[in-house]
Amino acid sequence: MTNFETNAESAYIEFRNVGKRFGSQDNGFIVLEDINIGIKRNEFVSIVGRSGCGKTTLLNIAAGLVAASSGETVIAGKKVDGPGQGQGVVFQQHALFPWLTAAGNIEFGCRSSNLSKAEKKQLVQQLLELIGLAHAANSYPRELSGGMQQRVAIARALAMDPEILVMDEPFGALDELTRIELQDELLRIWEVKKKTVLFVTHSINEALVLSDRIIVLAPHPLGVHMDIEVTLPRPRDRTTPQFNALYKQIWEGLSS
Amino acid sequence: MSEQLKRIVYTAAVFISLLLAWEYATTNGYLKPYRFPAPSQIAKGFVELSVVGFPRGLTIWVHVQTTVERIAQGYIAAILLAIPLGFLIGRVPILEKLTNPLIVFGRSIATLSLLPLVIVWFGTGELTKVILIAYGCFWTMISNVIAGVKYVDKGLINAARVFGVKGAALYWTVILPAALPRIFAGARMALGVGFMVIVGAEMIGTIEGLGALIMEARTFYRSEVTIVGMLIIGVIGFLISSGLARMEKVLVPWDTGLEDVRR
Repeated sequence: MTNFETNAESAYIEFRNVGKRFGSQDNGFIVLEDINIGIKRNEFVSIVGRSGCGKTTLLNIAAGLVAASSGETVIAGKKVDGPGQGQGVVFQQHALFPWLTAAGNIEFGCRSSNLSKAEKKQLVQQLLELIGLAHAANSYPRELSGGMQQRVAIARALAMDPEILVMDEPFGALDELTRIELQDELLRIWEVKKKTVLFVTHSINEALVLSDRIIVLAPHPLGVHMDIEVTLPRPRDRTTPQFNALYKQIWEGLSS
Repeated sequence: MSEQLKRIVYTAAVFISLLLAWEYATTNGYLKPYRFPAPSQIAKGFVELSVVGFPRGLTIWVHVQTTVERIAQGYIAAILLAIPLGFLIGRVPILEKLTNPLIVFGRSIATLSLLPLVIVWFGTGELTKVILIAYGCFWTMISNVIAGVKYVDKGLINAARVFGVKGAALYWTVILPAALPRIFAGARMALGVGFMVIVGAEMIGTIEGLGALIMEARTFYRSEVTIVGMLIIGVIGFLISSGLARMEKVLVPWDTGLEDVRR
């Protein structure tokens, strides 16, 4: 296992020796061990890995939804001890509230903010326009397509004006075309809003299109297997030799 | 539209021919009137019931009012008890495990089999009838409330936690609305149970109410009165059920057809 140096000065999100064990001491299983990752502010970092390598668990730890068994996670110098510390989360299944309209769901995102009622309304309108769904403000989630639902989920996460955006395979359930569309859209939003993004995916292609950096988690041995900077200019052409070379490198890392 | 009209006309035609055949068979001696009272006789029975009453003085409206009041009392008591209890049990896994056998057990006992015992405990007054209805409605209601609360999508709870919702606020913002469709389904099923129980509950110690009316009519071989009683129970059940369905559309708009949502 390789230990990656994390620079305390520049790391905005920091996993320090994070480990997670499920079950009891002698009868449980370890999903994460000694994870050390530092993520810079406004960096777009993807975590890829095979199913069961603990990538979702790592993400849930960052979101504060799951407590680590060992080590600590620090965001902007503050130890994470629960959700609601500035982590916006987009889930794999959109997790929109079915009883709220698109606008209602987005408004839920800013419920704990100090904005006045009028300001909230304005923010919701802005976000609806940002995701191109102003016309669907009063639609319930079940009336929206999968892609639209995930857009609303992103807008809801943005509504709390989070410092970091934690995304757990958000496009995993979408068809290829919608997926590509939403990847482009996410990049556009990221350019506008400038957030630090922690993005879990099992698609190498998706990670390459989106990220500044790709971290490969491996189950055997447990831990960070590769840490690759992606310096290709955006928007990225998915067919260039450089793109394919990186794809190959990650693929080999995953299958070794 | 005309397709729909056609269907209504055909259905009505089938229905009317059946009634005519029935009328014909009874008046010509193919069917015994006290077994199958002719439709005209049932209609007469209805008129007699609404004007004179059966027994004399107790018109159909009195019976309806009495029955609806009894069902309402038992039903509302069951719902008021089942909702908070169901929430508690549904949210506390250990309680759910402990009470599950009891609930399955209680639900399996046919309500009317309790009649003799309930009479011994509470006599033959109003309380007995209301308790029987409440008993029947309660188990159906609480099973549904527990299921609704227990199977709230964990993802929705996590989503709310992400936005800083915790503790009691989780109940109002997520668990209650998420469980509402199931709670409504339970409420409608429980109402059905209430109407099933009422006839039996009104067999004892009363001559008022649709159940009592049906039993009284039997004693006097007034089959047409029994049928009127049956029909009225059906109509009331149908009306209340559609009322609940309408209420559900207002309170749980996300769970109904899209047309209703858009309207």
